[in-house]
Amino acid sequence: MTGAAFQARDRCAIAGVGQTAFTRDSGVSVLSLATKACLAALADAGLEPGDVDGIVRCQLDKVDTNSLAATAGFSNVTYWGEVSNGGMAPPAQIGQAMAAILAGLATTVVCFRSLNGRSEDRFGSGEHRSATPVVGGRGSYDEYFLPFGLMTPGQVFALLAQRHMAEFGTTSEQLGAVSVICREHANQTPHAQLHGQTLTLEQHQDARMISTPLRLYDFCLETDGACAVVVTSAERARDMKRPPVLIRSVAQAIPANNRAGMMYSSLLRDDITNLAWTEVAEVLWTRAGLGPSDIDVAQLYDCFTISVILQLESFGFCGRGEGGPLAASGTLARGGDMPMNTGGGHLSEGYIHGMNHVVQAVRQLRGDADMQIEGAETSLVTGGPLPISSALVLRRG
Amino acid sequence: MGRFVPRLDDRDTGGFFDAAREGRLVYRACLDCDSALHPPVAYCRFCGGWNTDWRQASGHGTLHSWTTVTHQVHPDYPPPYTLVLVELDGPTPPVRLLGMLPEAADLSVGLPMEVYFKDEEGVRLPQWRRASN
Repeated sequence: MTGAAFQARDRCAIAGVGQTAFTRDSGVSVLSLATKACLAALADAGLEPGDVDGIVRCQLDKVDTNSLAATAGFSNVTYWGEVSNGGMAPPAQIGQAMAAILAGLATTVVCFRSLNGRSEDRFGSGEHRSATPVVGGRGSYDEYFLPFGLMTPGQVFALLAQRHMAEFGTTSEQLGAVSVICREHANQTPHAQLHGQTLTLEQHQDARMISTPLRLYDFCLETDGACAVVVTSAERARDMKRPPVLIRSVAQAIPANNRAGMMYSSLLRDDITNLAWTEVAEVLWTRAGLGPSDIDVAQLYDCFTISVILQLESFGFCGRGEGGPLAASGTLARGGDMPMNTGGGHLSEGYIHGMNHVVQAVRQLRGDADMQIEGAETSLVTGGPLPISSALVLRRG
Repeated sequence: MGRFVPRLDDRDTGGFFDAAREGRLVYRACLDCDSALHPPVAYCRFCGGWNTDWRQASGHGTLHSWTTVTHQVHPDYPPPYTLVLVELDGPTPPVRLLGMLPEAADLSVGLPMEVYFKDEEGVRLPQWRRASN
C-alpha cells in the first residue's frame, strides 16, 4: 500500500490535551462541553484561543466549527475540516490536522469530540427516534436491517462475536477479561466514570444478557463529555509548555471488499470477523517503520469487548483467532507487556467516541497519566471499525 | 410509533421489495460476469459494467451468525427475539440477508435456513426459519 512515500513521520506533534468531566448528565450543552475541552487543551499547551487557526471536527458532532470558533474566541480560523464516521474519526482527525499543517494551511489545529451521549443522544437507544417508521433508501440500506429488528451497534457486535466464537472457539470469559482489565485501569483513574466500582470476572458472567453472547459489561458506557487536542508542528511544539508527543504515523482505510452502506453493511463483507483494522494496520505499520512489538501501551477502540479481540488479531499482536486467549493472558493488564486502555477505555472511563483514547495516549507518553506505565514511549491509538477505520502511532518527543 | 417499515421506492433497492410483494426472493447481479452485488448497486465493480439486474434466489441459505436480543430498545420490538444473518446458497461474492425469529432460540452457525414471506405492517417481507429438512 501507500507507505513508502510517507513524508510526515514525526513532523507534527500533539502539544496539549483537554477534557471535561465524564458524567451521565452534564447539565450543559454539547457546545459548552466542546468549548471547555478546547480551552483546557489550549491552556495545557500554553496557548491562547486567538492562536488557533484550524479546527477538525467529527461529522457526527452536534457542534459545528463556526459555533465553536464563535463561542471559544477562536478569532483567527482560516482552515477547517471534517472527518467521518463517528468513532472511526479521531485518529483520522489528527491526521487531517497534520496534513493541513504540513501543507501550510494552518499552524495550530484543534481536534475535538463533544457529546451528551447519555442525557441527550444515546447510541444504545435504537433508531426509533426517527419521526416516521418508514426507514431506509437514499443509500442508507437501512431497509434491509431495521424492519427485521436490528437497530443498535450492540446487536451488530453481538453477531460478530457469535461468529468469532463459532470460528475460533472464543469464550465469554475471554470477552470478560477485556472488561475486567478496563475496570481495573479505571480504578486507577479518578476521572473515569466507573472509578471506585470494582468488577470481577464472576460479576461479568453473572450480569444480564443484552444480546447473546454479549452481556451488560461487554458494552461500553454512554457518556456526557468532551475531549480536545492541539496539533502543531513538532518544531513549534518543542518550544511549548508541555513535552511534545510526536505523530509517528497515521492511517485510514476503506477495505477492498467493503460493501455500500454504513454500520450494518459490515455484516455483508466477505469476512465479518476481519474488519477494516487489518487494512489500516498494514498502512499504519509501514508508515511508522514500526510493528506490533514496538508498542508499549495501546488505546484500543473498545465500544464492545469483542472489538478489542478483533483488533489484537488485525494489528498483528497475535494470529487470526488468537485474540481471545491473548486478551485473557494478562499481557494487556497493568504490569503486562502491553497494557491497554490505561484510563479505563470506553468500557469504564467513558465513551467520547475515541477521542479520550488520543488524550490518554498523550498523557502516557508525556509521563503524566494517572496510571502511568513506566517507560512508555510508543502508543497505538485506534478508531472504530464499521465499516472503515483509522489509527495512529504516537511517540514521546 | 409502530414497527419499522422499509422504504419501498428506492432506486437501487426498490426491486427487491417489488419481488417480495410477489413472493419472490431476488438479489442484484451482474449479467456479464455473474458477480452478486449486495447490497444492491447498479454498477458492477468486478467487470466495470452497468449491465446488472435482479436474479432469482433459491430461497435456501445457511446461518452465518445470530443473536437473541434480550434487552428492549424499541417499544414495538419486545424481547426476546432472535436475529438471523443468513447467507444465500449459490451467489458469489456472498449475499447475506437478515431475518427475525419471534422468540429466543438456541441456534448454531452453519444451520440450513429457508425463506418464507410474511406480511408486516402491510408490507410483504422475506423472512427466514430453520429449513424443514
